[in-house]
Amino acid sequence: MIEVKDLCKRYDGRTVLDGISACFAPGEVVALVGPSGSGKSTLLRCLNGLEPFDAGSIRVGDDVLAPGVQRARGAQVSNIRRRVGFVFQQWHLFAHRTALGNVIEAPRYVRGLDAKAATELGRALLEKVGLSHREGAYPSELSGGEQQRVAIARALAMEPEALLLDEPTSALDPERVGELVELLSRLREDGLTLVAVTHEMRFARELASRMLVLHGGRILEEGPPAQVLERPRHERTRAFLGLERAVRQEPAVEPEPGRTGVSAVFPAATARE
Amino acid sequence: MNVSAVRRGAGALFVLSVLMTSCVQRQEVGLERVRRAGELRWGADAQGGEPYAMEDPEVPGRMRGFEVELADALARELGVRARFIQNDWSSLIPSLERGSFDVALNGIEITPARSGRILFTRPYFIFQLRLLARRDDDTVTGLASLRGRRVGTLANSQAWDLLQREGIQAVPYEGVEEPYIDLEQGRVDAVLMDDLIAQRYGQPRAGLRVVGDVGEGYYAIAVRPGDEDLRAALDVALGHIARSGELRRIFARWNIDSAAQQRMVEWSDAQTREVLAQTQAPRLGWAQWVMFLQASLVTLVVSVGAMALAVPLGMGLALARLYGPRWLGRLASLYVELFRGTPVLLQLYVLYYGLAGVLRLDALSAAVLGLGLNYAAYEAEVYRAGVLAVPRGQLEAALALGMSTPLALRRVIFPQAFRVALPSATNDFIALLKDSSLVSVISVVELTKRMTITAVDVRSWLLPGALCAALYLAMSYPLSLLARRLEARLERG
Repeated sequence: MIEVKDLCKRYDGRTVLDGISACFAPGEVVALVGPSGSGKSTLLRCLNGLEPFDAGSIRVGDDVLAPGVQRARGAQVSNIRRRVGFVFQQWHLFAHRTALGNVIEAPRYVRGLDAKAATELGRALLEKVGLSHREGAYPSELSGGEQQRVAIARALAMEPEALLLDEPTSALDPERVGELVELLSRLREDGLTLVAVTHEMRFARELASRMLVLHGGRILEEGPPAQVLERPRHERTRAFLGLERAVRQEPAVEPEPGRTGVSAVFPAATARE
Repeated sequence: MNVSAVRRGAGALFVLSVLMTSCVQRQEVGLERVRRAGELRWGADAQGGEPYAMEDPEVPGRMRGFEVELADALARELGVRARFIQNDWSSLIPSLERGSFDVALNGIEITPARSGRILFTRPYFIFQLRLLARRDDDTVTGLASLRGRRVGTLANSQAWDLLQREGIQAVPYEGVEEPYIDLEQGRVDAVLMDDLIAQRYGQPRAGLRVVGDVGEGYYAIAVRPGDEDLRAALDVALGHIARSGELRRIFARWNIDSAAQQRMVEWSDAQTREVLAQTQAPRLGWAQWVMFLQASLVTLVVSVGAMALAVPLGMGLALARLYGPRWLGRLASLYVELFRGTPVLLQLYVLYYGLAGVLRLDALSAAVLGLGLNYAAYEAEVYRAGVLAVPRGQLEAALALGMSTPLALRRVIFPQAFRVALPSATNDFIALLKDSSLVSVISVVELTKRMTITAVDVRSWLLPGALCAALYLAMSYPLSLLARRLEARLERG
């Protein structure tokens, strides 16, 4: 359970987060959407302690993150980080380590597992994300989709309660998005809280149980994706969604079943469950 | 390679150079050349100081010293003007051979090695080889008591030869002040120099005492081979100046006259022939090969030692600049600018001679420390650039996994920075290997110094030079290979 209370952050005289309060329950998948500069990425980074904030609090279980600079909050921050994994937009795999090396780094040196236990855990996680056959490959030898899977396995190796994903679909080929949705929905089944910042409304619709629309550092509206996307209550949400559709040139109607794409793959994934 | 092959090679080179110089000389011979130019160009080193030849402290640009007056008198006898040409003392003879000046006149002693190489006039001054030791060290009673111990002197001088013959470890210096500083500091056990030098630079020092004079020798004017007529003319002129009493008047003006100098007045041609009869053929023998290898070892020890110091210190400086508090970062920047922005030669001088009063270092330690401190500044920048080259996201990714900053640096940033820094660091180490030749200024005999000493001994710079280059390459090339292999191993990923 992650609880955010009255989170405020100013940067360079500009208000980035303006009193955000939200709750993320175990097994819940939340999509954070909103125009550029709405504060959604900043919020995500605050949840992992990557970004300091000026007021409010973040609670993960019994660990509380208070306002202030990171250096003063060392222990709190690293406790929170152990409980909340982060998957970066560009993944940031450790370039000097193999896929397996990336995954076992944190269990080995942060959790203090011995080499054997960490390797076993790493192999199991690579299998979970479907990359057992690539464990010896270096990041530069992996495709974008494969790097993302390693990044997810690396975050899971800390056995977190929640996983934060920053724009998980933006650097993926369209046909890879379905595989990602499949993997994430399996993780959801394990009881993991997922919070994703995304521009991809189809992705949000397929995966999320709840959608938060941010604007100007505030939560504009929230609700199940179907409701927010089809019957937005707020004028600004409507404008934003229309803009998104126009920019991405998404067809107004859903793609035909059988075509590659989120909705084509996702039903297959749910059918398997 | 065997010795006779080396000798054949050296012989062939010598014949070739003789042929080349004789071609030039056929056009114009020494005396004729001097008369036509209207000036006698004489080479000397103003750094040699009193009383030989030095710059007048009151009139910059004007030279004074007993040899300046002697050169003027000789030029007058030849009917020309004297013109001083500044040249490093240690390379006066090679420069004379190259034709940079007509004669070398700067306290040059008649030694068998030099007599076999160039022409000498009759001597103009008799000197004593004077041995000085520390006042509080009564174990030094003479040359015999110094066997196996360290004695400072000028390289390739008569004192140098004498020390070698006596089985004493001769420590070569380039200046006349430094050996006495080192004697006071206990870095050498005694100093053997010409009495003129000892009087002015050694004896005034309160901590030193004269052990005694252990030999004598002559200063004479060096003339290029082939300029026999110039030598003959100078012999006549010297004889005239000596017999007229002018020579001893010059000596008296510089407080270097003594009863012994009367022999210069009564000097005969027969005596000249006798003094110059002893010549020594140049040869590059086994002993010199062994000394070359020893000198390589010194170069290697100095370089490896300095790098072993520069790497951790450089890392510390880079860390201070990147992650330290502001004041520490400033301090590290200051260090880098100071050591990178001033010559390493100056740093070595300051460390070894300048701080001698507070920091008692032997020459080898000072060499390692001096080069190490200097290279640390370069290494710091190399490592800092390496760290900055690692994308920012790598640190965030490590922190996001719950790593502390130090752990993230150690496990994620530094290994990647190392990859970036390795080629530059290898470059620096190879540069250091060659820069280590600078430590000869603080009396460490490393490879380049050994080469110059040997080159003067064997009259050839080519063979010792080639040998020296080969030894440097033999040290740097394996290092390049090693670095290349390491880079290839890190290349993946």
